[in-house]
Amino acid sequence: MDMNEIKEIFFQECEEQLAELESGLLKLNDGDRDPETVNAVFRAVHSIKGGAGAFGLDDLVSFAHVFETTLDCVRSNKLEPTQDVLKVMLKSADVLADLVTASRDGGGVDESRSRSLVKELEALAHGELPSSSGHDAPKPAAKAAPAAKVELPKPSDDSGFQPIPFSFDGFGEDDEPAVEGSLYEVIFKPRRELYSKGNEAALLLRDLSRLGEMSINCDTDALPALDRMDPEASYFSWKISIRTTRSEDDIRAVFEFAEWDCDLEVKFAEEASSNEELPMVPVPFDLSILDDSSAGEEETASERGASEEAVAAALSAAETASNVSRAARVAEKKESAAASAAAQNNAAAAAAGAGQTIRVDLDRVDRLINLVGELVINQAMLSQSVVENDATGTSAVNMGLEELQQLTREIQDSVMAIRAQPVKPVFQRMSRIVREVADMVGKSIRLVTEGENTEVDKTVIDKIAEPLTHMIRNAVDHGIESPEKREAAGKDPEGTIKLTAKHRSGRILIELADDGAGINRERVRQKAIDNDIIAADANLSDDEIDNLIFMAGFSTADKISDISGRGVGMDVVKRSIQALGGRISISSRPGYGSTFTMSLPLTLAVLDGMVVTVAGQTLVVPLTAIVETLQPEASAIHSFGANQRLISIRNSFCPLVDVGRVLNYRTTQANPVEGVALLVESEGGGQRALMVDAIQGQRQVVIKSLEANYTHVPGIAAATILGDGRVALILDVDAVVAASRGQSMKPEMSLAATG
Amino acid sequence: MAAKKAGPASLKLAAVLDLNEASNLHGKLVSMRGSDLRIDASGVERVGVQCAQVLLAGVKAWEEDKKSLLVEKASDAFQKTMQLIGINNQNLVAKEI
Repeated sequence: MDMNEIKEIFFQECEEQLAELESGLLKLNDGDRDPETVNAVFRAVHSIKGGAGAFGLDDLVSFAHVFETTLDCVRSNKLEPTQDVLKVMLKSADVLADLVTASRDGGGVDESRSRSLVKELEALAHGELPSSSGHDAPKPAAKAAPAAKVELPKPSDDSGFQPIPFSFDGFGEDDEPAVEGSLYEVIFKPRRELYSKGNEAALLLRDLSRLGEMSINCDTDALPALDRMDPEASYFSWKISIRTTRSEDDIRAVFEFAEWDCDLEVKFAEEASSNEELPMVPVPFDLSILDDSSAGEEETASERGASEEAVAAALSAAETASNVSRAARVAEKKESAAASAAAQNNAAAAAAGAGQTIRVDLDRVDRLINLVGELVINQAMLSQSVVENDATGTSAVNMGLEELQQLTREIQDSVMAIRAQPVKPVFQRMSRIVREVADMVGKSIRLVTEGENTEVDKTVIDKIAEPLTHMIRNAVDHGIESPEKREAAGKDPEGTIKLTAKHRSGRILIELADDGAGINRERVRQKAIDNDIIAADANLSDDEIDNLIFMAGFSTADKISDISGRGVGMDVVKRSIQALGGRISISSRPGYGSTFTMSLPLTLAVLDGMVVTVAGQTLVVPLTAIVETLQPEASAIHSFGANQRLISIRNSFCPLVDVGRVLNYRTTQANPVEGVALLVESEGGGQRALMVDAIQGQRQVVIKSLEANYTHVPGIAAATILGDGRVALILDVDAVVAASRGQSMKPEMSLAATG
Repeated sequence: MAAKKAGPASLKLAAVLDLNEASNLHGKLVSMRGSDLRIDASGVERVGVQCAQVLLAGVKAWEEDKKSLLVEKASDAFQKTMQLIGINNQNLVAKEI
């Protein structure tokens, strides 16, 4: 694995961490004060920083560091995560994401923005802290600690060889209000490999020291005489007491990259609350005890060189020595040992509970999907030729074929499931857009998301982001009113945009609702007349007016801003949604807001379809659209107006749509009694009866894009290859229904087609 | 680098005392045994644990020889790292003379 690959993995992980970061911050924003949430946020930034450091991405590291410092203040309850604080944090998360992108793809970031954020973050970390313990933000503490130490060398010990079990900064600071947190014992013994792999124990210790207040005891007993030592071997080991508000996992995380090359033991020593009773005064240090015990040890140690036993012996000697100085705490430690064991068990169980995943190149999945698609086609061809040669349909071949069909289907479902991804990342990106745009236009807006875990094909996810961004910008810019106007209207000055995803009858439904002013129909209508989209005397229903905003060249914004209002908004959105095989509709209530509803296919690769014949052509109607099929009787057909017909089904009337006419396959109306009616549900909610000549059967078909291979055809969603190798067109039911509704929809359709 | 019998020898430590420097430093110390040694750590920018090991072993060796080994000048980085990794050895903590 070369460096680039590792880097690529790092960036992938960065994205995950960023998502984690953002969702955590949003949770905090919503009032969640769970320490685990804060920890998750902190870990995300910390991991990014750690990885970035390994790749020398200095900008990223320095920003992440400042961010982390401030987060640490939140974590240690020194900084209350108020809305204002979180606003800065969310912005910082955005900048961090920008920096990650810039590091990956090159290109610059807005430096002034990140600089000002760094200042804000630093101000939060330092300025707004409660007085005395406030200066314990990790960075200053790390600097201050060694400084304190310099002045305190113990002159009592002349030999100067023995390590002093505790550094003195711990005691110095203990006079101040005690730093809250729990005490952990860390025994860290690097092996030779740790160094030979380029890791550096000093750096690990430095990182560890940033976690909290640390006192360190370097065990040098294993060090052989100068002429007998191997300069590149590892002789030192450390026994560290660290008082930190972080968890054991955080401590272990410091050694993450080195854990295979060292012996590491992290023990929970004592609960946070009991720190007052600590005998943390320099007096109990009995250096002579240490001298004695290790003087004898030194002989054996140097004799045996760096052998494991010597190290272990030295270690235990050191332990004994430090136990002396901490005798008062021993009892307590034992008590907590059981607790820590239980905690470890829990952690292990949690780790086992999380599913295992692998990262697979998308190309490979796509190749597999393509192959499965071919397999499906092939299987269809095979079964067709078998059927043709064996009319009885009872032979063993037929039975086997049916099983094959089921298997192919299962394979296909499983393969599709591989590509299915939750919409969460897209939704999360939207919250950033809402934040940024709302900031720009001076509005206060909350984005509420629901159903982020709804899964949909990755292609759909990738392609939905852009239209969704467009719509979100629109909603923020036009939909939600300014806080003053909202207040005047008796609404919460903070606007709400709700983004929902859910599965409905084999499609994914994405809803974007704002609680703004709704569509100003009068203005929309006027604008449409001004822009020559509709005739001045056109009589349109409210619904039709609302849908005018999807017309090309339509924008109601009074002035053109860089956020929206270039007049290329909603028609582009509609086109991209249509290109995905989706539909978009709007409903609006003046004064209460608008709701955009997008309905998208779950996958762009396969579809269950009903194969039908219309005027000699084979068409596929998506099965999800079909409610039922029926053979119309002459008595059920009623004429309505000049060329409209209705069919009466169970005492209700339903418009009859002649597919052949709509698609211009024939010029005359077909006789309904000779054909079959497919009752379909259209996006608008109404039912229509599509009239076709005959039903050939149901089949799973592999979707081949018509746009990619030919061009968009109104009324046709895509194409497929049938069992006999012929191309069949897949009907866009809603487009056909819309086209049958009358003239008003036609220009729009052709516009979409030419766009 | 032969040790001079007359005055205390001096050794200026390299700027980066990492893994690669450990063997070097070890070699230098071994060759300088037998006389007092003043170590100049003022130019040190980075100290790895392995060099710290060598230095501490050196201190012990000089102790055995009943000679003096002192770090005279030490850079911030040197002092801080020594404290960080818990080496509070008198001889390695620069005297403020």
